[in-house]
Amino acid sequence: MSKKRCVAFRFSLIFATLASAVATVTSASSATAEQPPVSFVNDVMPMLTRHGCNAGVCHAKAGNGQNGFQLSLLGFEPAEDYEHLVKEARGRRLFPAVPENSLLLLKATGAVPHGGGRRIAEDSEAAKILVQWIRQGALWDGSTAPAMVRLAVTPAKGTVQRHQTQQLQVSAEYSDGSTRDVTHRALYESNDRAMAEVSETGLVKVSDLPGKVSVMVRYQGLVSVFNAAVPLGAPVDSFPPTRNFIDELVFSNLKELGVPASPLADDSVFLRRVTLDVAGRLPTAAETAEFLASTAADKRDVVIDRLLASPEHADFFAGKWTSLLKNRRDDASDITSNFAFHAWVRDSLLANKPWDQFVREILAATGTVIGNPPVAWYKRVKEPKQQQEDVAQLFLGVRMQCAQCHHHPFERWSQNDYYGLTAFFSQVGRKPTATRGEDMIFHKRGVATAVNIRSGAAIAPAALGTVIPPIAPDQDPRLLLADWMAAPDNPFFARALVNRYWKHFFRRGLIEPEDDIRESNPPTNPELLAALEKHFIESRFDLRSLVRLIVTSSSWQLSSAPLTDNLADQQNYSRYYPRRLQAEVLLDAIDDLAGTRTDFPNLPPGTRAIALPDNSYNTASPFLRVFGRPENESVCECERGQSSSLSQSLHLMNAGDIRGKLASGSARAEQLAKSELPVEQRIEELYLVAFSRKPSPAELQTAVEYVISPQTDAAGNPIEPARAAREAFQDLVWALMNTREFMFNH
Amino acid sequence: MLTILGQSARYCDGVARRSFLKIGGFAMGSAAPATLASLMKAEAATPNGNARQGKAIINIFLGGGPPHQDMWEIKTEAPREIRGEFSPIDTAVPGIRIGECFPQLAAIMDRLVVVRSVVGCEGAHDGFQCLTGWNRRNVESIGGRPAIGSVLGKLYGQRDPGIPASVALAEKTSHVPWSEPGPAGFLGAAFQPFRPNGKGMEDLTLNGISLDRLEDRKTLLASLDQLKRAADSRGSINGVDAFTQAAFGVLTSSKLAEALDISKEPAEIRERYGDGKPYKYQYDGAPTCNEQILMARRLVEAGVRSVTLSYGRWDSHGQNFDLVRDHGRKLDQAVSALVLDLEQRGMLQDVTVLVWGEFGRTPRVNDGAGRDHWPQVSCALMAGGGIRPGQAIGATNRLGEYAVSRPVHMQEIIGTAYHNLGIDVMNTTISDPTGRPQFLLDIREPMKELV
Repeated sequence: MSKKRCVAFRFSLIFATLASAVATVTSASSATAEQPPVSFVNDVMPMLTRHGCNAGVCHAKAGNGQNGFQLSLLGFEPAEDYEHLVKEARGRRLFPAVPENSLLLLKATGAVPHGGGRRIAEDSEAAKILVQWIRQGALWDGSTAPAMVRLAVTPAKGTVQRHQTQQLQVSAEYSDGSTRDVTHRALYESNDRAMAEVSETGLVKVSDLPGKVSVMVRYQGLVSVFNAAVPLGAPVDSFPPTRNFIDELVFSNLKELGVPASPLADDSVFLRRVTLDVAGRLPTAAETAEFLASTAADKRDVVIDRLLASPEHADFFAGKWTSLLKNRRDDASDITSNFAFHAWVRDSLLANKPWDQFVREILAATGTVIGNPPVAWYKRVKEPKQQQEDVAQLFLGVRMQCAQCHHHPFERWSQNDYYGLTAFFSQVGRKPTATRGEDMIFHKRGVATAVNIRSGAAIAPAALGTVIPPIAPDQDPRLLLADWMAAPDNPFFARALVNRYWKHFFRRGLIEPEDDIRESNPPTNPELLAALEKHFIESRFDLRSLVRLIVTSSSWQLSSAPLTDNLADQQNYSRYYPRRLQAEVLLDAIDDLAGTRTDFPNLPPGTRAIALPDNSYNTASPFLRVFGRPENESVCECERGQSSSLSQSLHLMNAGDIRGKLASGSARAEQLAKSELPVEQRIEELYLVAFSRKPSPAELQTAVEYVISPQTDAAGNPIEPARAAREAFQDLVWALMNTREFMFNH
Repeated sequence: MLTILGQSARYCDGVARRSFLKIGGFAMGSAAPATLASLMKAEAATPNGNARQGKAIINIFLGGGPPHQDMWEIKTEAPREIRGEFSPIDTAVPGIRIGECFPQLAAIMDRLVVVRSVVGCEGAHDGFQCLTGWNRRNVESIGGRPAIGSVLGKLYGQRDPGIPASVALAEKTSHVPWSEPGPAGFLGAAFQPFRPNGKGMEDLTLNGISLDRLEDRKTLLASLDQLKRAADSRGSINGVDAFTQAAFGVLTSSKLAEALDISKEPAEIRERYGDGKPYKYQYDGAPTCNEQILMARRLVEAGVRSVTLSYGRWDSHGQNFDLVRDHGRKLDQAVSALVLDLEQRGMLQDVTVLVWGEFGRTPRVNDGAGRDHWPQVSCALMAGGGIRPGQAIGATNRLGEYAVSRPVHMQEIIGTAYHNLGIDVMNTTISDPTGRPQFLLDIREPMKELV
């Protein structure tokens, strides 16, 4: 009898003597009185969960329960499971006279054919527990058994060297004050299997990748997490200058991991990067020339402030938010609402409206879209459940979808939490207006509740664990939800926004995905996330101040060129992680480089793709579609296609619209071909626009020779010089456009 | 590099530019085409490594809903107002009889399987379910379910840098869902099928510039594209690079454009498939374009893993029997030609052919000699891919109203196709954008009669 086994039972002393007796006893009746009582909820249920019986694809009710045997998903409803195990199907699943021959055991041990195969061995702890429980009368103890109150993993955090292992110990604490070791009963999952794998018995094996990794431990509906730092241990003597607390925390994390930071990016890269990330466009040739020539010590900060105040910054982020807020054109008549909502978002950002105010105006919107544009959100998101799910994911970084039907295994949210949050939206009234498709939104007098579909209970508004005092029938519950969000001690609101913005600038959220914040998905740098939250709350939810803080940091201004020792780093911000320009930005950038313009229907000529108010323009623009501009259908940023594809490459190389831009009579290639300026200067102009830098001598030589070399046609006759020059410049623009340096913000 | 020069020299153009580029001495190391393959390999869980080579699917969608009782199971016992105008004919497999409009298929019944009891139809006039196995609304909030072709692209990648994993031949129909190309769903735009008609086709063949000038540009690009690939170890930069190379592959190899060009096919073979003309009963649906079925074979031969197409408009609310005579005989010719052609090329074991629609049609013939919608039961014809041929599976009741034996869910048919394609449907999951692992289907057991 191993030590672990003994600890696993509370009556360890008695057990030690009895267990050997049990092994030799063959008669069922004689042992009954002497065995330690087996608890259904605390012993049997965890075994079913551990061996996957109630997993979605097996006997979980949610997955229809194979062959009519239904259990609650991952055992969150023991009372139902007891019914199904003991009473359903005329009790055929248990055989009290000879417990070992119960169908439950025969199936689970594979003694009779079982679709799920052999799940447990006859002599395993799980089999013994089941047999003992049946022998003792298959009793229900859901109302008397001590409830589990805490799950603790030891160590909770630690440093594990590469290629090393760490054994976890897991203990469960019960409401009667007892604890037991459940290391061999709990379930383990690594959040990054490339970095660490974990065995069924809690042995963590770390690979050769340095960084932060965590292992989630689950047992009986509670979750605990082991956070590990896996240091590289490279020498980290110096870091770029610390500009603010971001640098202190990013660099101290890197120091702990022994991962060096790349040096600061040069001025060209910085200017291109900051203009693209803050304002969604390339710097102009003039801006670049001025910036590169300036010797002012604070020139980077000056550019940042100018960009933050620019209308393009508002355009760029309005595009981001209107997409997530589902500003979608389903019908031609939606155009009024689309334009009004987009303008409202853009103006709010231009005025740097505090974030809590912005959210409050959407959440608690009343009236018509003309009088109050944020009402448009209620036009697209009609049902209280959907409103709740969107608000939770978008503004709180919490995904509630699973909790509608079942308690999520990795989450603390129950169905009551789901319907409690939904209840805030239960009194949203709407009635049609004279304008087709537009409703007036108002507070429908009454007491807010939402019905839990499983229990049938009417649930009063409750905000993710925070009890809200009774709400008077005349009071709009949505205002109270907004109050709760904006409270300085709200644990979700500021965190969700800073993490989302962090991801915009650093490509990877401190928590990934950025809108899936939960205990079992820890941040890679918790201190940094906390400091950002504190800054954001103390600045009274000032978005611009947050952006300024991020882009003035040295951490954000690091070069993307890796060092040998930080090449593998993908989560600790030891260098800038490049990303392909998003569809609209890339289209605008191509127009800037080619010297052309894309026209969009119903919008003034010269409107840039980044300023498009809704998704309807995707239909007319194959470019935007191919490069993944979202259709504004999802609250998830993942709707935007950021991956590259063969069609994208073919489009850039060969599509009609790109060809038209290269060959247009007013295009830059044509202008440069005709220009009297020295050819070097003309090529320099292309480089300044495309890459915000001058060409290197080698690049210049390549390009110049490409342009001036004599050309012959297929028959060997010289091509007329004007045409040759035009084609040469078109080829140059084409080539620059297809470089990775152009397509990426790096 | 020398090869590039060597090839281009034949065109006697642009040599001057490339010569100096060579003198310039830049590293022109354009990534080998293998880059794409390795990239794909890296991101896909690849079950059955070798088995998948050459495996493909041709999914022929009969938009509108073919009348199940006039295709593979004539209800001879039913009263005349239900039975309709057709008689059954004997096939190469004793005991299996199918509708009289399909004599050529009857003659090769020993290579085919007909399923007479397809269930689980959603009832929408939409190709979505036949291409994915799912309802269009399923997990829509995260992008919806991907079609077979997109799943193949995700799991296997491309077989050839010049050839996309998935091609959709259906030209846009006025009733748009009948030309559903097969959605990429939550896999994202990168896994959309190529639609060689319209925009997609335009991008596939070199536009406005000569192959030679493209070579010039390629060389120029290689010498100017200096951003270190290593700057991005997660591969998005490398990804673009691989796709850029693949795009050059498509544009320069002309393999894809050639596969789409059926004039390259011997006249004798083209005659066997027929052209399906004149197109009749097309209205807002797809034409009976037999040439697309030949094109599908050419594409699969060139390395495409999934070809979808929409054949005819079977929504026979009126003149059901005339329509089946027209569409049926044309389909009979094209599909029998396809199956024999695949067999002669030794490809039939690898290529799964599905021929089916979104639902069946009402048992009782209406006043206009038509049949209306009947999602209770439908039918399918299958061939190739290693299934056990020469079977008729399932049956409807005497009146053709519902399945009385062996109801086969639409997902079972898709699941069998996945199985044929070397995918372990029981255990394969793909992460959706929220990180939740998604099985390919809810019903994951392939049809035991066939595998």
